[in-house]
Amino acid sequence: MGQEGFTAIKRGGAGGGSIPTTNRLSGGRAFPGIPRGRQIHKTFNNLKITILCGFVTILVLRGTIGVGNLGGSDAEAENQNLIEETNRILAEIRSDGDPSDPDDTAEVEINPNVTYTLGPKISNWDEERKAWLDRNPEFPNYINGKARILLVTGSPPNPCDNPIGDHYLLKAIKNKIDYCRIHGIEIVYNLAHLDKELAGYWAKLPLIRRLMLSHPEVEWIWWMDSDALFTDMVFEIPLSKYNDYNFVVHGYPDLMFEQKSWIALNTGSFLFRNCQWSLDLLDDWAPMGPKGPIRDEAGKILTANLKGRPAFEADDQSALIYLLISKKEWMNKVFLENSYYLHGYWAGLVDRYEEMMEKYHPGLGDERWPFVTHFVGCKPCGSYGDYPVERCLKSMERAFNFADNQVLKLYGFRHRGLLSPKIKRIRNETATPLEFVDQFDIRRSVVGGTDSKSP
Amino acid sequence: MLERCLEARPVRQIHRALRHGKVALLCLFVTIIVLRSTIGAEKSGTPEQDFDEIRDHLHFRRRAEPRRVLEEAQTTDATNINNYNTFDPSKLMVDEEEDEKPDPNKPYSLGPKISGWDEQRANWLEKNPDFPNFIGPNKPRVLLVTGSSPKPCENPVGDHYLVKSIKNKIDYCRLHGIEIFYNMALLDAEMAGFWAKLPLIRKLLLSHPEVEFLWWMDSDAMFTDMAFEVPWQRYKDHNFVMHGWNEMVYDQKNWIGLNTGSFLLRNCQWSLDILDAWAPMGPKGKIRTEAGKILTRELKDRPVFEADDQSAMVYLLVTQRDKWGDKVYLESAYYLHGYWGILVDRYEEMIENYHPGLGDHRWPLVTHFVGCKPCGKFGDYPVERCLKQMDRAFNFGDNQILQIYGFTHKSLASRRVKRTRNETDNPLEVKDELGLLHPAFKAVKVSSS
Repeated sequence: MGQEGFTAIKRGGAGGGSIPTTNRLSGGRAFPGIPRGRQIHKTFNNLKITILCGFVTILVLRGTIGVGNLGGSDAEAENQNLIEETNRILAEIRSDGDPSDPDDTAEVEINPNVTYTLGPKISNWDEERKAWLDRNPEFPNYINGKARILLVTGSPPNPCDNPIGDHYLLKAIKNKIDYCRIHGIEIVYNLAHLDKELAGYWAKLPLIRRLMLSHPEVEWIWWMDSDALFTDMVFEIPLSKYNDYNFVVHGYPDLMFEQKSWIALNTGSFLFRNCQWSLDLLDDWAPMGPKGPIRDEAGKILTANLKGRPAFEADDQSALIYLLISKKEWMNKVFLENSYYLHGYWAGLVDRYEEMMEKYHPGLGDERWPFVTHFVGCKPCGSYGDYPVERCLKSMERAFNFADNQVLKLYGFRHRGLLSPKIKRIRNETATPLEFVDQFDIRRSVVGGTDSKSP
Repeated sequence: MLERCLEARPVRQIHRALRHGKVALLCLFVTIIVLRSTIGAEKSGTPEQDFDEIRDHLHFRRRAEPRRVLEEAQTTDATNINNYNTFDPSKLMVDEEEDEKPDPNKPYSLGPKISGWDEQRANWLEKNPDFPNFIGPNKPRVLLVTGSSPKPCENPVGDHYLVKSIKNKIDYCRLHGIEIFYNMALLDAEMAGFWAKLPLIRKLLLSHPEVEFLWWMDSDAMFTDMAFEVPWQRYKDHNFVMHGWNEMVYDQKNWIGLNTGSFLLRNCQWSLDILDAWAPMGPKGKIRTEAGKILTRELKDRPVFEADDQSAMVYLLVTQRDKWGDKVYLESAYYLHGYWGILVDRYEEMIENYHPGLGDHRWPLVTHFVGCKPCGKFGDYPVERCLKQMDRAFNFGDNQILQIYGFTHKSLASRRVKRTRNETDNPLEVKDELGLLHPAFKAVKVSSS
């Protein structure tokens, strides 16, 4: 016993709790003081515990972080790639540069000595037009007693600086489509810059001239800005009032001739008769337009001569006011209309829509129920407007829904609120829908009025 | 032995105690982790959140610089409230009332059953000679119906393509004397998505008795042949015209045997009846999902998704051919709907070899961008291909309009235009090559006075 114990203790110098000196003495054994069988057992135990712990760890990790999530980071990266790719394409689409256009960089120098013209001078347009109409009776300029009108509008060919701008362009064109369908007016939506020199707000001049000359069957060309919305779907322009005039524009004579204000009239919505006089006026209007030094210099003249005009390059509205003030003989055929809102400045109108709906009815066209609400200064297609964005966009939405309610009435719906895209029923479905068609179709009241064929 | 055990006891005890302690600590740790991962601790969060945080942190470090620059640039904007780029469009629209909940017990119907619509309509037309249903000898009054969502597109350029698409339709319809209705209202919340056209079409047919044919057209379809006039006479004995092939629908039961992205529907009792027969698979939720399974099972090659109006129409025609088939015309002689994938690369070849007015594979009437979904965030095809090809298709159609006025796009990819003929002082002598300036199909009936 003693010998054994002695040897055991001696060997187990390590096993008694002191620092194990494993390698030298035991030859690799972990617990040198313990019998071999026991040791194996112990090793097994440790192994078991290790494996068990490892297993538990894996389970826990899987339960929390999850293998799926590691794969999820791949999907996330793919998503990110897709978004970056889309952004790159969007930037390319938005940029004005054209990779396939060789003329892009070479800008033609405008020679200031050569006067700009819209086109070769035409002097006999009235006779030519009349002859054409006589030769083509199937394209008359009056249909059922109503003059043929062509509504012209447009927007730049590239996407707006901000997506919400395009959305409101879309709503505005839907609004115009609705009015024109009800009133039998055709629409031309222009997305092309016909003349590089007259870009921007001046672009309407070559466009109007081009359309007049190509469509002799059109009696009136009605230009309307893309930021102007119809808000009275029933009102019709009293064309018979303008039998002796060739140009109808919303404006005030006292602002024009006494105050010489730069907002005396508004060229966002006006009508031009298709005749020689109009071609001549367009030719006289155009000279301040060509971009570059001409437009800049003209801008200075306009700011100096018109009241309240800020300093910026010449715009078509100021130029027209200046022209009409300087050459008063044009005024013989110009009608400054203000008995209804051929153009209605939005700020004073949009807050009163609910009041209008309560007190009045469509068909008035004036301050009680404006014909056109024009969002001057909002510029939703650009990056900055002259007014707070939220106010502009909310007002545009309200104006759009205010008009849309008048269209939806025939179908028995209206918007839930002036800011709501959703609609609600105001009339139940019926098995005899035609009685409501007679009652609510706006065209019935419009056509019935001018036509004397009613039984 | 006992003595030895006793001697070694304190050391052994410590050892054992230590080991027990280790095990206990380990078990405690494991318990805490498991509890945390399942129940989660409020402030410290779950391990998943940890993982996300770590990932974000790593990402943030990678992209910290540019993000910081962008944010700074935005905050230095003096007139922030006038800046469209910083505006959040979701603040714009207000939903004022609750959606009406449909009665789950009542089966869905588009509206009260109308019978005798043909007589009602004929009476009305007689009493209203100012609104004839035929505006020319062989020319019925047609209303083109299209539409999109009243909310801005998810894709930033989606609305721009919608504007171009409607301009394209305005041009074709102006030339052909067709009226347009652009819908932005969801008439029935149960029939949302591609089914929304059914209640709309029914409502328009009943509200416009003067309309003889209603032409539905998707917002992602564009006119590419401005000179082609639909051969109305061909359909005088039919009420429903779709692009498709009889064999693919009736024999193969293929889900793309016809296309409901562009079709003509006559305003008559038969049409109201087929709309009623078409609608049952539409109501969203369980009905639509279950119907989708039936359609995938019954139709060839249809993938698994909820019921769509096109598959439902194929199924309807296949199962009730004797009831509806004789009045349905599956047109394949021209592209009333033209799948864009096989057309867009050939535009230059078409310009070289053919001319407008053909309407078929040589010069397609309609190029339909199925699957592109430019208004949404993700389509079935690469974004770049879709958008660039939509530009090309638009320009291809626009060139035919611009040439009337003496202009053309500089190339099919370019937004810019150039002159094709100089201005003249004799504008009425200009030759109208395609006959689109004063086309015969727009001529007004000359009244003999």
